[in-house]
Amino acid sequence: MSVENESKMGEFESVVKDGAIDLLNKLEVGDFSGAIKIIQELSEARHKSFYNEVGYLTRSLHDAIRDFQIDSMDMMMQGGVPETEVGSRITDASDRLNYVIEMTSSAANKTMDMVDSSVPVASELQMQARELHKDWNRLIQRDLTPQEFRDLYKRIDAFLKYTDESATTLHNNLNTILLEQGYQDLTGQVITRVNELIRDVEERLVHLVSVAGRVDSISGMEHESETKERDDDRGHGPAINKNDNPEVLNNQDEVDDLLSSLGF
Amino acid sequence: MKILIVDDFSTMRRIIKNLLRDLGFTNTVEADDGTTALPILQTGTIDFLVTDWNMPGMTGIELLRAVRADEKLKTIPVLMVTAEAKRDQIIAAAQAGVNGYVVKPFTAVALKEKIEKIFERIDSAK
Repeated sequence: MSVENESKMGEFESVVKDGAIDLLNKLEVGDFSGAIKIIQELSEARHKSFYNEVGYLTRSLHDAIRDFQIDSMDMMMQGGVPETEVGSRITDASDRLNYVIEMTSSAANKTMDMVDSSVPVASELQMQARELHKDWNRLIQRDLTPQEFRDLYKRIDAFLKYTDESATTLHNNLNTILLEQGYQDLTGQVITRVNELIRDVEERLVHLVSVAGRVDSISGMEHESETKERDDDRGHGPAINKNDNPEVLNNQDEVDDLLSSLGF
Repeated sequence: MKILIVDDFSTMRRIIKNLLRDLGFTNTVEADDGTTALPILQTGTIDFLVTDWNMPGMTGIELLRAVRADEKLKTIPVLMVTAEAKRDQIIAAAQAGVNGYVVKPFTAVALKEKIEKIFERIDSAK
């Protein structure tokens, strides 16, 4: 409760105290019309005080609700829309978490695709090496016919070529897997932000509940919404719903176009 | 050619380091934000800077401005590799004197292309 409100409550109490003494005095001297007038004044003072109290609580409630809206714009990716729903940051957090799910799922799938395409290559290499090894041992033991030797000669040549190609394939697959791990950076940034939001919302919710607990009836009040742009320098993190925002570029090509328009 | 990689996520530093190795740049050092990167740069041994934007402490754009404002460091080529994709931010980076800008998630090809382009420009300026 604010100091201002407390002093108003104190004012009302002293009005009641003074009024009660006056009332008793009037009753003792038999001045009933004077007594009724005092009762009316007290009733008016009570109304006025109640009105002030409701006004104060309404303002507090409004501030608590508005606290939910502040900062919502920077989470909304600077859509330029001044009015937002109370739940917009929550909706946006939900979008962000969906983005995490998409990114992690896509990375996991791509990684598994690479593993799937690598395993047969490794198996084939192993099988061919084992076959050759058998005949190679026979060669060492001088156990091969001339025809078998000529075949082995060709097979080794083919195997070396296949090994080279396979190593290239495996190398590329491993590189793709490595690159896919980049999702950890992007999703890590998103989750950190959502965590901040959750802490914020909890704090404000506690405040809202404490105010709302004291409000029995709320008179209508005009809501002003405040917007706060997040500082570009501090960064915004990965953009979600890029297509909804003309200020956010969608891909490297758009970035390149913008830079070349700047003379890059 | 010694390259400094600045990113707060070790995974991303590792990715960039591996891609650079594939491109033939094996001499790399790492830092996790601008504050830790600057002292490394000031040793005067870094020839190329690859930095993220959004980092705790000193951000990439602040690091870029600090590098350009430093008489000894201002000619170091800077490649930004970041998830920040707002038009105003890219313009700000260009104005601050960035040499290349790669948005995450990126491909090995995109990174290679930007790095080669930066070196081409440096060579042709010589």
